[in-house]
Amino acid sequence: MTVGGPTPAPQVKSLNCPGCGASLTVRSFGHAVTVVCASCHAILDAQDPRLKVLEKFQAAEGEDPPRIALGSRGVIRGTAYDVIGFERRTIRVDGVPYSWHEYVLFNPFKGFRYLTEYNGHWNDGSILRSVPDVSPGGSSLRYLGETYKQFQTANAATTFVLGEFPWRVRVGESVTVSDYISPPRVISSEGTGKELTWSMGEYISGRDIWKAFQLEGEPPAPIGVYENQPSPLRADVKTVWAFVGVFLGLLVLLLVGVYSLARDEQVFEESYEFNTNAQGEASFVTDTFELKGHTSDVELTTRAQLDNEWIYLNYALINQDTGHAYDFGREVSYYHGYDEDGAWSEGSTQNSVTVPSVPPGNYYLRIEPESDPKHGTIPYTVTVRRDVPQAGFFGLGVLALLFPAGLLTWRSLNFEHLRWAESDYGAAPDDGSLLSTVENAVDSLKGSIAGDDQ
Amino acid sequence: MIPRLFLIYGMAVLLAVSFAEYRGWSLNRVDEVLNVPKSVRDNPGSYRSVYGFYHHYTGGK
Repeated sequence: MTVGGPTPAPQVKSLNCPGCGASLTVRSFGHAVTVVCASCHAILDAQDPRLKVLEKFQAAEGEDPPRIALGSRGVIRGTAYDVIGFERRTIRVDGVPYSWHEYVLFNPFKGFRYLTEYNGHWNDGSILRSVPDVSPGGSSLRYLGETYKQFQTANAATTFVLGEFPWRVRVGESVTVSDYISPPRVISSEGTGKELTWSMGEYISGRDIWKAFQLEGEPPAPIGVYENQPSPLRADVKTVWAFVGVFLGLLVLLLVGVYSLARDEQVFEESYEFNTNAQGEASFVTDTFELKGHTSDVELTTRAQLDNEWIYLNYALINQDTGHAYDFGREVSYYHGYDEDGAWSEGSTQNSVTVPSVPPGNYYLRIEPESDPKHGTIPYTVTVRRDVPQAGFFGLGVLALLFPAGLLTWRSLNFEHLRWAESDYGAAPDDGSLLSTVENAVDSLKGSIAGDDQ
Repeated sequence: MIPRLFLIYGMAVLLAVSFAEYRGWSLNRVDEVLNVPKSVRDNPGSYRSVYGFYHHYTGGK
């Protein structure tokens, strides 16, 4: 919405209502078909020089006044328009009335334009100059190369009018309204039988309306998700998933780089036997070995020949020079046998542990084995490797990238779900989109759960 | 706004993974003990392991 050059004011004519004598200001003189007197609510024939009374209606007590007062001037898409008419239209769904407001705008050179408002959601609309191409089943239409999906069809009754209208307005008159959406646009048909009027609306924020008409205060906050309200997340979801693809690619490159550049060097391996029958101190120390390179991890693997037994090893990786020790314990246990279900086994004969961030230096291991006493001899081998890549961090990296992207996608799908919940279908149309696929999956899951419960 | 935040977040994830790999981080629990006396080499039994009182699983069916 931009401000254009100066636009001449429309030709304004002051008249008197033949019903009550109140003064009437007609801003679209020569264009208006009916004028409604704000005092007595008489609907007058604006094309009759004597302003013949067409009908009168009874306005309800405490009728909401228009949020944009008649006579206000605002600049929309670079053109100044005057608000000349206001009507409320109501549909009933399952007996519940839903009302929206329409504002008739007029510019003497550009003609008429319409603003609609429902629960704080605004649309800027105008009459279409050509008829859209409606699909045979009426589930969609095409207009200017764009596909619009059918959203809702209802009978809308005019329940309140005020000001000037370029058609013969009647309170209580009902027409069938069908909306087809392609956010942020909506194409609506309205009429009876074969006479249809097509119009297109584009979602516009209340803040922009307030700015255009220089209204005081803040626009009412929108409630819920409107039929053609653009999803605030849709574009973000696509961009974020594109980033996820790039980052996953970089992560794979990093994985290849780490696995090719890591030292992954065996620095120590020795085999021992633990005599569980022996008395006395079981702990011992190994020969010294050197850990080279920068501060990195150390992977210690224990392999034991076990037969329905366990061995627990208290390890201390001790820096010979600084006395800095890394203390940890590892159990290796393996059980197996047969029962009525066949062969079974538990545990493993091998266990690995990664000691984090060990600086370079000369180290030795203090090993203290334990097991059930009088279980014979348990042979085991201890292997130490330096700078071993940890695949788990890449897994965590993948999860860390997928989680927020998935959350964003879920929020976006939820937005679309809320939109389509208000449609005639109560759900997104089954058109192969991600949302319809997810909703179908959820429906079939609910169906199978319900089936299981029966 | 969200894509920009995600761009920063994704770069932080890549940096964190790179740093974790370079520094050799691990998810295993290891206790660090300072100033272990050199005499442990000659008398291993004098060292008291943090895990010395571990409750052992003696599984099987």
